[in-house]
Amino acid sequence: MPDLLEVKNVTKKFGGVVANQGVSFSFESEKVIGLIGPNGAGKSTLFNMVSAIFPPTEGEIWFAGKRIDRLPAFKVSPLGIARTFQNLQVFKRMTVLENVMVGLHTSTSSGILSAAFKLPKAKKEEETIYQQAWEEIEFVGLEDVAAVEAGNLPLGKLRLLELARALATRPKLLLLDEIAAGLNHQETAGMSDLIFKVRDRGVSIFVVEHDMDLVMRVSDRIIVLDQGEKIAEGTSKEVQNDPRVIEAYLGNDEEKEEGTV
Amino acid sequence: MKRKGIQQMSWKGLAAFTVLILILPFLLSTSLMITKATFAGIYTIVAVGLGLLMGFAGQISLGQAAFYGVGAYSTAILTATFGISPWLSLLIAITAPALIAYILGHTMARLHGYYLAMATLAFGIVIHVLLVEWKGFTKGASGFYGIPKLELFGFTFTQGISYYYLVWAFALLVIILSLNIIHSRIGRALRSIHDSEVASSSMGVDTGRYKMQVFIISAMFAGIAGWLFAHMSYSISPGSFGLDGSILFLTMVVLGGSTSVWGAVFGALLITAISSFVQALGSKISFITSDFEHVLYGLILMLVVIFLPQGLFPAIAAKLKPFLEFTGRKKKSGSITAVKGDQRA
Repeated sequence: MPDLLEVKNVTKKFGGVVANQGVSFSFESEKVIGLIGPNGAGKSTLFNMVSAIFPPTEGEIWFAGKRIDRLPAFKVSPLGIARTFQNLQVFKRMTVLENVMVGLHTSTSSGILSAAFKLPKAKKEEETIYQQAWEEIEFVGLEDVAAVEAGNLPLGKLRLLELARALATRPKLLLLDEIAAGLNHQETAGMSDLIFKVRDRGVSIFVVEHDMDLVMRVSDRIIVLDQGEKIAEGTSKEVQNDPRVIEAYLGNDEEKEEGTV
Repeated sequence: MKRKGIQQMSWKGLAAFTVLILILPFLLSTSLMITKATFAGIYTIVAVGLGLLMGFAGQISLGQAAFYGVGAYSTAILTATFGISPWLSLLIAITAPALIAYILGHTMARLHGYYLAMATLAFGIVIHVLLVEWKGFTKGASGFYGIPKLELFGFTFTQGISYYYLVWAFALLVIILSLNIIHSRIGRALRSIHDSEVASSSMGVDTGRYKMQVFIISAMFAGIAGWLFAHMSYSISPGSFGLDGSILFLTMVVLGGSTSVWGAVFGALLITAISSFVQALGSKISFITSDFEHVLYGLILMLVVIFLPQGLFPAIAAKLKPFLEFTGRKKKSGSITAVKGDQRA
């Protein structure tokens, strides 16, 4: 059985800037893997490649035994990868429920003509979409704002909405891109509980996070990036005691991080 | 079934509009006005398609009049020259523009940025030149004469009330189909593309495919309108299908607002009314010519884009809403649903 996600020697260059250099790692199903590193370490770039927003310059990415690094993003989603966005990409002019319903797009198939003529298949699918979207809304606890246009929601609710929408795609692998950014303590605690609940559904989770408390608590294993390269990988304890990680975070020079290890 | 949390189609709005359309001929005093109201229906069909393309796929077409022309000329040639039944040529009037749209859209690398606007602009010019120059088929600039009237079970649709109802039956069908589309999974996918293309593609939405499909549908609607136009008039000429026409359709959509189907309908009605009014004035005042009309449309387009970028319809709907809620019976529950639904549909 192949690993769920395999990143093989991936390099990404933007013009002359090397964002990732020779990064390799892999992980198996039903785990929570953390990805940390100082600002500019290349975490977001790596995330964008795994979710096929853009392809790597070199190297390969495999998901569930299938090479995905040359696929367009919309073809990766049906394979079982979903993500949230650090800089919130909600559909602002749609209601919360409708946002989540978009997440069910690929699990349904009726086309534009059956939609136009309201054929029985489209109607039946619409019912399924509605029911399943509600389940996700309830899972993250957004029932009371389900009918609100997403653009009117506060940040905390939007993060939950992105989670619900990603879950609606029925992912095997969920990428959480700084899901706790901007949340208060209570909200962050709620989010880490949710992450465990998601894992218990059998979903593997890949977490990029600046909130060290959160990432240490939820992750089975942590990968550390610095200046585009992987410098450490291990349990939270191993990583915290790794001299290279300490150096990357605390540094010899002035490039200090606000987060503490 | 009433569902909480979805912006639903307003059947009441549709019913009210249908009633309005049914009684309108009885309120219009002259046959000229009935003709104008018939044209409003034909324009509505084109505008609704273009509205879907602009408001839901985020693309602009500057060649809608050319699709309209392809529909009109294909039925004219097939029926008058080759003697094919107009009902059969309706199929061609729909599929020919669809096929052209498919080819245009496909070569435009799946419709990014403003390439589609440019491509349709060029296509519109090519079609216009073809209509003028390909005299063997189109009879050239002087126009194509002798298009047969539509007949159904021995009844002939002549210009007037019967044609008005025929056109508006098609227009209502187009409106209903469009409303169904935007309230479906495809509609949600399209709206999501508009808000965040990166998020919708990471949800598995094939954004290029849906943009293409809407473009094809907009071309099909224009083809239907062209078919209706050809069989309404005894003759057609290339002048109706040039860039002026495309800009006119664009103005309708921008004026009414492209974020809802009703916006395009409203825009089509309003522009037809304005045009009729200006033409009536023109018959009395010498300096008001058809050039004046174009200047007026340009002005309207600029003012709307600057002051009401969402178009008139959303602004009016928002103004009317408190009034409607005050006078109408209050909804028992799910008021948010109801309000949103009315606005969207």
